[in-house]
Amino acid sequence: MEDRYRKWGWGLGIATVTAVTSFGVASWQANAAPSTPSTPGTTSAANTAEQPRVSDPSRVPEAAAGTGSDPLTGSEVDKARAIALTPELAANATDVTGKAGPEYLAADLDTDGTGREAELYFYDYKTGKLHKQVVDLATGKLARSFAATGMQPPASEQEAKVALDLLIADPLSADFKTAYQKATGEQLTGTDGLVPTAHIYTAKPADRGASQCGTSRCVQLIVKTGDGHFINVTDLIVDLSGRKIARLK
Amino acid sequence: MRYRKIAGAAALLTAATLSVTAVTAAQAAPAATPCGASAMVKETLPNGTTWQLCWRINDKAGLVLDHVFVATKRYPEQVQVLDSIRLAQLNVPYDTGDTEYNDLTAIGLGSYGLETITGDDCKGGSVRQGSDGGGDPQVRDVLCVSAEPRGLAYRLHEYDWDETTEEQTEKVYSQEGHDLVLRTISKLGWYEYVTEYRLHDDGQISARLGATGDLAPSEYSTADNGWPLGKEAKDYSTMHYHNAFWRVDFNIAGKGGEKVEQFDTTTSGRGSMAAALTTTHKTLGTEGTFTKANQRFWRLVSPTSKNADGHQRSYELALGASDKYEGHPETKPDVTFSQKNLCEKWASDNAADPECPLDIKTVVDFVKDKEKLADPVMWVRVGFHHVPRDEDQSPMPMHWQGFDLVPRDFTEMNPLTPAGREGANGNTSDDGSQG
Repeated sequence: MEDRYRKWGWGLGIATVTAVTSFGVASWQANAAPSTPSTPGTTSAANTAEQPRVSDPSRVPEAAAGTGSDPLTGSEVDKARAIALTPELAANATDVTGKAGPEYLAADLDTDGTGREAELYFYDYKTGKLHKQVVDLATGKLARSFAATGMQPPASEQEAKVALDLLIADPLSADFKTAYQKATGEQLTGTDGLVPTAHIYTAKPADRGASQCGTSRCVQLIVKTGDGHFINVTDLIVDLSGRKIARLK
Repeated sequence: MRYRKIAGAAALLTAATLSVTAVTAAQAAPAATPCGASAMVKETLPNGTTWQLCWRINDKAGLVLDHVFVATKRYPEQVQVLDSIRLAQLNVPYDTGDTEYNDLTAIGLGSYGLETITGDDCKGGSVRQGSDGGGDPQVRDVLCVSAEPRGLAYRLHEYDWDETTEEQTEKVYSQEGHDLVLRTISKLGWYEYVTEYRLHDDGQISARLGATGDLAPSEYSTADNGWPLGKEAKDYSTMHYHNAFWRVDFNIAGKGGEKVEQFDTTTSGRGSMAAALTTTHKTLGTEGTFTKANQRFWRLVSPTSKNADGHQRSYELALGASDKYEGHPETKPDVTFSQKNLCEKWASDNAADPECPLDIKTVVDFVKDKEKLADPVMWVRVGFHHVPRDEDQSPMPMHWQGFDLVPRDFTEMNPLTPAGREGANGNTSDDGSQG
């Protein structure tokens, strides 16, 4: 885009990096006026065949903290995670690998409050509880805590990897291995190069084969091979809580 | 529906108090800092219309727009339209009944599902950096902002009589329109989804979801629920649905408290030449789910904010093509109006917040106690039944589904009215006769 600005945006021909940068900064103030950047030397009528341009603000490093409805910044999430992970949660909960400390899932901006609050979600594999820890970013304090069973938000990347490991180690993955060989022409030797996408699976009343899912934390996997093939194994359910594989009937 | 816990209610009260004090300021100009500069889009289209909004990525919903304001050359005061708009679910059930994905709540359009903008994704536009909304958020090129021509905004061939020269004059008003377009892309397995909002220079907002990528590589079935792809008729690619929900929260002129009205037009008899039609309307005072009918529309009306002619400002929901997935109760209604409640986040699979009840799962649950609509939230459902075709491979041509929000009496005339047509408001015929 910078090239375009040099060519189009600045009719005076001052195409220095400084000018480009200052345009980006200035555009935040300048674009409040109803003026559309136009190509110098032509009338707007002659421009109608071209796509009109929008401002192209220069890249600025992410601020430490956001304001209003800004997304949570990296620093805010880091800070909130440290506060949300109470000593009790760290000691008593376990993650998907069985290690001490809960499985960290997600951080959302709480949009209902008056100040900026971060909602952090953790899953405890020991109790099957989803924990929601609300951190007040201004005071740096844990404002509220909630926990419930039977709630399953999307999987973390670590959970997707563990699910793939469990699948490959199970005899029920024979079909998957056959499909892998058919797609790639090679025998599956490990999970290197495989990219799993995990969809949370919750059993509905009429579903058969993995009725514990919902109370248990379960996923279905879509696996992308190193050479770009997708292998669909959605009839197999990986129960991350029970560390076992089930086939939907 | 009413079941918020104490903490939430207290927060809401505080927010309400604040918003009252904020109204005065909002009338003159948008609240000073609804968000920081990096999260704000403020662009003026060639016809002089300026849209201003804040954006962010939510790990499940993907792109979220909030604090959406519009100003036009004719009406330069910035007026708020939306509090927020975002996707609220994407169900993808396959016709065999053996597979269904809930793409927002079981995987998410943000976080690692969000693609980095590249190639022709944002041709001619401005790529904006921002957080991908993940648990370990990454700042990436995620949003495309562009201004795109939308064809003729209006045309009028005007004839007039010049009293001084006693000659007929004529003028053609012919004007191209433009949209401010915001776009993100999410990749969930083989499918790629484009979340797009088009903010027109005449005040219309179009929300749509595009699907491309590839068909499911191993979803093949029989002729009953598949379509033959490849040589002869051996492999039947499985038909499936993309059933999308959007959550729309209006805040017209920053005043909120919109009324929901339903209009129905029916044939009531005969005139002297053709059928006579009668249009009636009713206010939907309580929560409920609603379905399309011929000549029916809904609008959200501000009870307090009026245009210069004294007409209440409103936006109308314009639904287009939409297939109805009959596999779930919550995917049958076309639109649901619920009283705003922060525990109601997802049109299905809603129960994923330990602060909220476990049994409030779908839009049907949101409205079952028929609470009074004091601050309505609109849940719009648009379905697309995808019958695969040979051309879907590969990549699949983009298919779209969505709806429009059309201003109705937001301004007393077309916001793009040219100077020569300024007087054309209301019945201006000399003899008052209709025509």
